[in-house]
Amino acid sequence: MNDEQVWLERARRGDKNAFGQLIEAYQGPVYNLAYRMLGNSGEAEEAAQEAFIRAYTRLDSYDPAHKFSTWLLSITSNYCIDQIRKRRAVLLSIDEPLPPHPALHSDNHKGPEAQFLAQEREALVQGMLKELPDEYRQAVVLRYWYDMSYEEIAEVQKTTVSAVKSRLFRARRQLADSGMARGMVPEEAEVEVMV
Amino acid sequence: MEHEERYYTMMMSALDEELPAAERDELMAHLHDCPECGREWRALLAIDLLFRQTPLLMPAVDFATRTLALLPNRRLRVRALGAVYGLLLLCGLVPLALGIFLAGRYAPVLSEPALLGHVWSALVDVGRLAATVVGALFAGAGRFVIEQPAVVGWLIVLAGVVFLWGGVFQRLLAQPAAVESRN
Repeated sequence: MNDEQVWLERARRGDKNAFGQLIEAYQGPVYNLAYRMLGNSGEAEEAAQEAFIRAYTRLDSYDPAHKFSTWLLSITSNYCIDQIRKRRAVLLSIDEPLPPHPALHSDNHKGPEAQFLAQEREALVQGMLKELPDEYRQAVVLRYWYDMSYEEIAEVQKTTVSAVKSRLFRARRQLADSGMARGMVPEEAEVEVMV
Repeated sequence: MEHEERYYTMMMSALDEELPAAERDELMAHLHDCPECGREWRALLAIDLLFRQTPLLMPAVDFATRTLALLPNRRLRVRALGAVYGLLLLCGLVPLALGIFLAGRYAPVLSEPALLGHVWSALVDVGRLAATVVGALFAGAGRFVIEQPAVVGWLIVLAGVVFLWGGVFQRLLAQPAAVESRN
């Protein structure tokens, strides 16, 4: 039994501190997913908290045959999609420029130039993600930041592997078009195929 | 174009590092010959690199502590659920035990033909009484509708108004209140 399984077992019996260890371990991935989906640090933090609370209250429904991280990220991304739909329902504008993530301001280890570049990259990534439909964005984030397989993404999105492939295919195509429109494509570089 | 779709699918497999060597060579050759696909491929690579290099963001340093403070008391919930299940079990078990006890004790009396006959006739009488009352009510209501159509019309309008205002009231209740911050 590894540490995670021990914490899960203790949390299932109502030990909050054991669940605290799980929060410590997964706060980064959960928060990052919420931020990538919602594009706003305040909402992302609230969504991450809500995801942990939901996970804690629904621990009995967690099947240990699956990875805990996949289950937790599934709760997070589904909550975020609900939030995006609610946000649309109350007609809040999501087209306004969002403030950059606070971590990018407070990173004193980097020089001003590196900090500026990081902010630029962050804004570019969030801008491109925002243009994608919710399900595509979810698939892209899970693929790139969490290195999830198609099967794991399908499990999170409660869909088939072929649907995930199709979503990623279309999302990448859309992102490539968006990148070209932003002038991101290096001209006449030597083409090389990764294997 | 058809060739585009085919090479696009190959590009996706290449990005996922799942393209067989033979197809990889074919794609390479095509990318050299077709400037349009070459440009698409470079865009895909640029996006892939950008996304892979973008780091995981972390929440504020006290996030875990604040989230821990928000967790509900699971032990209390488990105990409350246990109590509810216990009560439900008792609700089922007690009448069952009582039924078995009473059936055992009074079975000889209850199974007497005379008693069963009386119970049956009492049930029939109650049924007849209920049918008479319901019949009288329907007859009275029918007569009222025929004799006083205006009053009935007003009652229908009044009911409509009450229903409408009920809907408006429910909508007012459902208006979102100010959201309380967790932090």
